[in-house]
Amino acid sequence: MNTSSLYFVNWWTDTLIIGGLSIVAWVALLVFYHSADTQPVYWFALVLSLVVNYPHFSATIYRLYQSPDNFRQFPVTAWGLPPIVFGAVAASFWQPNIIAPYFVMLFLLWSPYHYSGQTIGLTMVYARRAGFSIGWRERMALSAFVFSAFVCGVIRFQQNGSSDGFIEFYGMSIPVFPLPDWMDAAAQAVMWTGALVFAGFAFVWCRAQKRPMPPIVLLPALTHFVWFVPGASLKSFWIVIPFFHSLQYLLIALVMQLRVRIDVMGGEHSWRCIGAEARRWGSRNILGGMLLFIGLPVAFSWLPLPMMTTAGILAAAVNIHHFFVDGVIWKLRDAATSSALMMNIAEFAGPRAAGFVRPNVVEA
Amino acid sequence: MRKAAMAAILVMLAGSAHPAEIAAGASYALPVTPREMFLAAGIGAMIACGLTSFFLAGRVTERTHVALAMLAVLIGGFCLFTLFGLVGREIPVAGFLVLVGLIGLFKLMNLFEVRRKPGPSGK
Repeated sequence: MNTSSLYFVNWWTDTLIIGGLSIVAWVALLVFYHSADTQPVYWFALVLSLVVNYPHFSATIYRLYQSPDNFRQFPVTAWGLPPIVFGAVAASFWQPNIIAPYFVMLFLLWSPYHYSGQTIGLTMVYARRAGFSIGWRERMALSAFVFSAFVCGVIRFQQNGSSDGFIEFYGMSIPVFPLPDWMDAAAQAVMWTGALVFAGFAFVWCRAQKRPMPPIVLLPALTHFVWFVPGASLKSFWIVIPFFHSLQYLLIALVMQLRVRIDVMGGEHSWRCIGAEARRWGSRNILGGMLLFIGLPVAFSWLPLPMMTTAGILAAAVNIHHFFVDGVIWKLRDAATSSALMMNIAEFAGPRAAGFVRPNVVEA
Repeated sequence: MRKAAMAAILVMLAGSAHPAEIAAGASYALPVTPREMFLAAGIGAMIACGLTSFFLAGRVTERTHVALAMLAVLIGGFCLFTLFGLVGREIPVAGFLVLVGLIGLFKLMNLFEVRRKPGPSGK
């Protein structure tokens, strides 16, 4: 196995971005920051949002709408979905106390589910890179672990983030989603069973291959566990979880963008070109993110609603739209996507690889 | 005697019909609540999805028809969620069922507009 092909960049970068950084942050907050005052972390996370969280939403929209080919390939996502999401936004603006809480609640439940999907996707990518075949049984065990951790996380987030049965979100009071008391124990039982079975498959693979499993394969699932089980009880940590999720996403999205611009569009294969394209793509997405999360609420500031309520409803809408688009454009079964996700960034600096699968992009 | 009996029946029927008329009239006169208006808009949006699929028959791919159907499912799911989303407060098991339904909805939406394997009759 070529060691460089296991990583998108290298051991350090991949390990830190995929989960190392977030686990270190969790440990640091657990040890050094037990204060109930989460305001300093909140403001720090807000600054990070400008350069990581918001651009990650913009990157999805940019990837979908950058090519007319995508419009033809995914017409309902490109044309049909925005009016439906906007309809829900209009209903929420119209009835901020009756419809908006449910719209935001839907987003708050869908968001950790979406993170779970990314965890499974990342595990599949690194497993494929490592030569560990994930079949139906392995996927079931992994899904049991990941999605049960998501349920545990929902329960813990609600327990720790609510007061009097409500969660504060952008100044709105969102009712806690009611779940039976036995749910936590049941989810934990399924989660540990899934973890044990998946570990068993990994052990069998290690014995057959006579080599240890590369830790990066298990890192996304371990990170997911930290986020949703112990991390969910630490309020100062779960404020920054979206930042780490977005960081994972941007690494993969950047590689995909480099693939499109340098490999497929015939750009120059050099580190200089990689840097230039990363800066161009990054700055566009930072701008796009600001338009989505600051520009849009300002555009609707004429509504007779508190600005925070408008911003919160629009943030939920951008997120829900993102969940859809993400599901459409990142299908591993798509040959172009899966081949791009097997690349290392250094390959874009070297001679062009022959026989690649061309992604469905004509213009980027 | 027969006339008296007929008159008594008519009076009884008229008597029983009277409150029913008031009740029916009252229900028509009740203002539509915001939630009902939202549900009506949701039903309208679902009809629009169905009609779009109908009028595009033969002109778009099967994947587009499936995506339109899934949009209708999403709208219907959200309408139900606004009605029963907090039912778990009264019936805890129902909260679990709502969560299962939501996870099913998220999973289904994860397959939105993706290529599907052809069925047994597919080419």
